[in-house]
Amino acid sequence: MAAANEIIVHLENVTKEYRGVPAVKNVSFDLRKGEVHALLGENGAGKSTLTKIIAGVVERTSGTMTHHGKEVSYGSPYQALDAGIAMVFQETSLVPSMTVAQNLYLGTEGFLNRLRGIYISAQQFLQSLNFPVDPTAMVETLGAAKKQMVEIARAVHHNAEIIIFDEPTATLTPEEKRHFFALVRRLKARGVSIVFISHALEEALAIADRITILRDGELVASGDTSEFDREKIIAAMVGRTLTGELYRKRDSSTIRKPGKKVLSVQDLSMSNVVRNNSFSIFEGQITGVFGLIGSGRTETFKVVSGIYKRDFKRGGSVELDDKPVRYYVPREAVKDGIVYVTEDRKSEGFFETMSIAENIFGGLLSADREKSSIISMSEMHKLAVEWTSKLNIRAINDNARVVELSGGNQQKVVIGKGLVQEPRVVIFDEPTRGVDVGAIAEIHQIINELADRGLAVVVISSYLPEIMNLSDRILVCRQGRIVEEFSPGDSTEAKIMYAAVH
Amino acid sequence: MIFDPILDLFRGKAVTIPPLDGAFRPNQALDDAPLIATLHDVDNAVVHDGQIVVSSGRKLLSISSAGQQQLLQTFDAEICAMAASASGTLAIALVSGALVLDREALPLPGEISCITALAFAPDGALWLANGADGIAPDQWARDLMSKGRSGSVWKIEPGSRAPRKVAGGLAFPYGLLANSDGVAVSEAWHHRIVSISASGRVGTVADNLPGYPARLSRAADGGAWLSIFAPRNRLIEFVLQEQRYREDMMASVPPEFWIAPSLSSGTSFLEPLQCGGIKTMGIHKPWSPSRSYGLVVKLDARLQPLSSLHSRADGIRHGTTSVAEHEGRLFITCKGAGMLVSTDVAEVR
Repeated sequence: MAAANEIIVHLENVTKEYRGVPAVKNVSFDLRKGEVHALLGENGAGKSTLTKIIAGVVERTSGTMTHHGKEVSYGSPYQALDAGIAMVFQETSLVPSMTVAQNLYLGTEGFLNRLRGIYISAQQFLQSLNFPVDPTAMVETLGAAKKQMVEIARAVHHNAEIIIFDEPTATLTPEEKRHFFALVRRLKARGVSIVFISHALEEALAIADRITILRDGELVASGDTSEFDREKIIAAMVGRTLTGELYRKRDSSTIRKPGKKVLSVQDLSMSNVVRNNSFSIFEGQITGVFGLIGSGRTETFKVVSGIYKRDFKRGGSVELDDKPVRYYVPREAVKDGIVYVTEDRKSEGFFETMSIAENIFGGLLSADREKSSIISMSEMHKLAVEWTSKLNIRAINDNARVVELSGGNQQKVVIGKGLVQEPRVVIFDEPTRGVDVGAIAEIHQIINELADRGLAVVVISSYLPEIMNLSDRILVCRQGRIVEEFSPGDSTEAKIMYAAVH
Repeated sequence: MIFDPILDLFRGKAVTIPPLDGAFRPNQALDDAPLIATLHDVDNAVVHDGQIVVSSGRKLLSISSAGQQQLLQTFDAEICAMAASASGTLAIALVSGALVLDREALPLPGEISCITALAFAPDGALWLANGADGIAPDQWARDLMSKGRSGSVWKIEPGSRAPRKVAGGLAFPYGLLANSDGVAVSEAWHHRIVSISASGRVGTVADNLPGYPARLSRAADGGAWLSIFAPRNRLIEFVLQEQRYREDMMASVPPEFWIAPSLSSGTSFLEPLQCGGIKTMGIHKPWSPSRSYGLVVKLDARLQPLSSLHSRADGIRHGTTSVAEHEGRLFITCKGAGMLVSTDVAEVR
């Protein structure tokens, strides 16, 4: 029993600051051998940062970390992995152009490798974990859930004594979740310590031995799971009414009535990702689109906004104001007033080394709405001042590079870049992903104001409370098509999830 | 793009189906509606002399709100359309091609053999919809599969006994809503409602409906009710593009098993699979493609859709062919299910 309570990792007063802003503040945390330790908190509470410190992804600003009683400081994930600490990231870190088996053995491969032998042992290994993944499949061809499985398998394969899972179940179906929990129990029985970050409180209560709750970078509660219930966890996580307001259920009297049908998508098809998808978008309301990752919701709207192309033959039709449109580049869609605010702001949303002003002005240029063909620095500056104050973008000045801003402010720049194009239809894809709670409230307010102004707004999100709070109508996407429509008044999380999964 | 017209030659025309959202947002209202009566082949309901009168095969019955039935008359052929005027005149059309006006048969020209709808204008004139030339009303699937456009609309002026052809070349007119200027006609195979003036001028009122529209009736608030008797689906749209296939199918397959819309479905294993995937883990998904559907649409005064009542793929109250509003309640005939159902008008959001 003493061995079971042996503390493997201990953090003492750990702080991590980004440009003087603490993401984690004076947190003391310990992980025992063979335990499942759930780390809970809102978005931006510091869960990921804390675990990244353990896994050597980020360096702590102050405080100490001991591993097996020795003070350590891992400078890279590789060092941490060498010491037996593996982390399974939210965004998978697999090499897409390699097969599943190659990814499993990457980093531990021999000087000479026999591919067939690797495939056979990978197959045996995956089967022992009960993961139905083909070891010869290219990772880029796998869905989100299977990628997650490979990622988990990789951590297990490295024989890590500590495995950190960052929201592992977000993309899994209920059946896959059962397999995952069975795996966690098997790992635990083998003496592996697990840190489990999740938004699903029931999962944490069901599987964890201990629970630690963070709020705004600080530790607010920690103890055995038996000391907690759902209400206690929520009270500790929220601690203030802001989140309650953010994700409250919509009162049916506040649901906006649909205006004119502005966009009609009929039988839209793109390969096997978007399959005969049909829906309409109306002015003056927010249409929420919910679906699991891989359900084709992002791809659908990327086709609508000209980023992807639909199938050449039998690709369906998109009608804007009852007139068929077919965009080959986003610029044409932007000119017609359709703006897509990307979910992946880092690679698609902004020019990170440019300033806020340059980014926002870039939006204007791409819509051909600049006043003259010669770029006016004063126009750019004026625009930046206007939108920085409108969207409450917090930066030292408008010359600050976007890469230096926090996630929330970066997202606001991306939104500003879209709104400066004076759109009629605004498509927000995961508008609050990786954004702190304060900024979420502001972004929600911006989205609501757009709908109040009569614009057609689409919000794509995998976060159900966000969908239920923002939307005036909820569309559920599954396997490349909209399968169900709900009114926020008559929907529940269970109903929406059932439609998304079954 | 400027090359689109050229590319369209290779791409082909996109044949798409409008989504069931907005005013057509699916619900289970028809399946939840109280059942008033189970009547074989119940087809048309009208309000006559302050009571609901329905046709059921050859029988004409009156039905109370509580569902008590009273047989009014039995005809020698099936009833295919009815209308009641404000002054109490009841017009009944039979599959045999006869038109009975207040129990008196009216001679009709040979061109009229497929009366699908009747409507009285405010001035007492009677409008007739002739679905197609040379077929009986129950052979509508053959007309659709042969892409028929031989429907016509006729008018019998007050005091006259001779019908006058007002418009022709229509793709199965199945519903009429008369007003002082002319008549609104639901043109089934073109999935639209058109207005036809007394002089025969045709204009589109509502286009691209998600199903095949049937009869129209007046709502108490000045709008109208439209029943849609079958849904559009991709398989049928595809078959409608394939002429040789359709010809072979019509020549060699019994009509009830054609890949065509239907008033009811799921009763025989010989029926065509409806685009596949209709059942997952033993549950019939309501959103799965279906050959039959139940749909009643509330239209505003400009005949634009406002809201709707549905019986979805997993429901049974399909083949909705008419609606009558009476004393704050709707009476809906589901011909495919052989049911007369009723719901409160206030419940139609």
